[in-house]
Amino acid sequence: MTVPVTRKDLMIVNMGPHHPSMHGVLRLILTLDGEDVIDCEPILGYLHRGMEKNSGKPNNSTISTYVTRWDYLATMFTEAITVNAPEKLENVQVPQRASYIRVIMLELSRIASHLLWLGPFMADIGAQTPFFYIFRERELIYNLFEAATGMRMMHNYFRIGGVAADLPYGWIEKCFDFCDYFLTGVVEYQKLITRNPIFLERVEGVGIIGGEEAVNWGLSGPMLRASGIQWDLRKVDNYECYNEFDWEIQWQKEGDSLARYLVRIGEMKESIKMIQQALEGIPGGPYENLEVRRFDRAKNSEWNDFAYRFISKKPSPNFELSKQELYARVEAPKGELGIYLIGDNSVFPWRWKIRPPGFINLQILPELVKRMKLADIMTILGSIDIIMGEVDR
Amino acid sequence: MENDHLQNYLSDWLVKYELVHRSLGFDSRGIETLQIKVEDWDSIAVIFYVYGYNYLRSQCVYDVAPGGFLGSVYHLTKIQYGTYNPEEVCIKVFVPRKNPRIPSVFWIWRSADFQERESYDMLGISYENHPRLKRILMPESWIGWPLRKDYITPNFYEIQDAR
Repeated sequence: MTVPVTRKDLMIVNMGPHHPSMHGVLRLILTLDGEDVIDCEPILGYLHRGMEKNSGKPNNSTISTYVTRWDYLATMFTEAITVNAPEKLENVQVPQRASYIRVIMLELSRIASHLLWLGPFMADIGAQTPFFYIFRERELIYNLFEAATGMRMMHNYFRIGGVAADLPYGWIEKCFDFCDYFLTGVVEYQKLITRNPIFLERVEGVGIIGGEEAVNWGLSGPMLRASGIQWDLRKVDNYECYNEFDWEIQWQKEGDSLARYLVRIGEMKESIKMIQQALEGIPGGPYENLEVRRFDRAKNSEWNDFAYRFISKKPSPNFELSKQELYARVEAPKGELGIYLIGDNSVFPWRWKIRPPGFINLQILPELVKRMKLADIMTILGSIDIIMGEVDR
Repeated sequence: MENDHLQNYLSDWLVKYELVHRSLGFDSRGIETLQIKVEDWDSIAVIFYVYGYNYLRSQCVYDVAPGGFLGSVYHLTKIQYGTYNPEEVCIKVFVPRKNPRIPSVFWIWRSADFQERESYDMLGISYENHPRLKRILMPESWIGWPLRKDYITPNFYEIQDAR
């Protein structure tokens, strides 16, 4: 009887768009030699919805429903960038109270996003328990958002010039209670995960990126900070009112998946510190500032007269962009989310390019998995923290 | 506004070394914008990298006018230790619509990998020397360049116009 000869060629395996690792529809074509990975090719585009082309049609104020669908776990950031870009283009001043409310919402959204990164990351490694723990805290954040904005996830809250509505009565006290509770929650995660030897075996030394390499590949966010580069757009750019709070940039030196995990846990704790400072220092005053800009052009045109008022439905007032261009960016939890906006003297922008952090952070994946085992792919992919909604747009 | 005292620092430096470029002024935040010719782009890109611009933030393309040029825009930044006001520049390269080819900067800044593929996919500008230039967001067998202003979506009709 002949003994079967082991094949000597490389094996090509398809980790298809549907797989139970909860990262969305990402297809990886792996070339394996036994258990070692030789090459990996990510194929994107399964969630491409043509968001950049769509931005020509709806006008600037109604596009909020589209933008929250890019990064659907940290929705305040997508709204913030959509609103920041025209504000910076036209130099619209935002009142102080609105700025503080925005910072509180953004930091809560950052915590929510990091929590929902942690759950699937641990579940990919094999630990199912944190996946349920994070939803406990995320439910509390959802409750806070629902009280303030009306929706648990896809809030339509940010407006050009401020926020849509003020915080309800008693929200600030509830938020303080959440902050105190959350700090005990983070301690629980530390006890369960950070010193766990199984976790450390799986995660330490896996997917190392050097500092120079990280900058060259255009990474941003926690991936860059875990490789030793202290680059945080909240300190570099000084947008909103981040410079009034006292907080530190979280960074690590090693550049492996453990460093990225530690950076994100640290960022959650810093966010709580910032929220507490913002809640204590929130000023009174108006929360929106838009009425000034509306009928700037034709002040006394005859079409605004009484006789024409009831002819047909007037479209809702929109924001006109002048003919300039701008690259605005925020520090989203996944990285640097940017919008390159070319205005066109009308309500519709001429070009509205989204610079998604997940898309650019994903480029390094084939490089990182080259010498790793098959099981390390999920660790590396999880630590990059992508979400297909913004990768594909 | 960041820069009250807008000066063409980079433009003056390039003129000093006699590199052909054209200054397109400043954008809304005061970032200098330069236009580089297609033939010079690969050498000038290396010059920028050596000068310290090590972070290609974003690369995008846009349609200047229907029937006109296509523009490829690069935003570069210097990331250095301890700076809180980094220098940035925005570079535009224009190509004609008929045969749009631009040298790729993948070998200088790796972050152009997926971004140039997306630019190729959406507007049809082909980047020479890119290792794997194929469609990334649209299906590989798609014909047409979706983000051009003169693009007609196939099989698309308004339901109220159908008879």
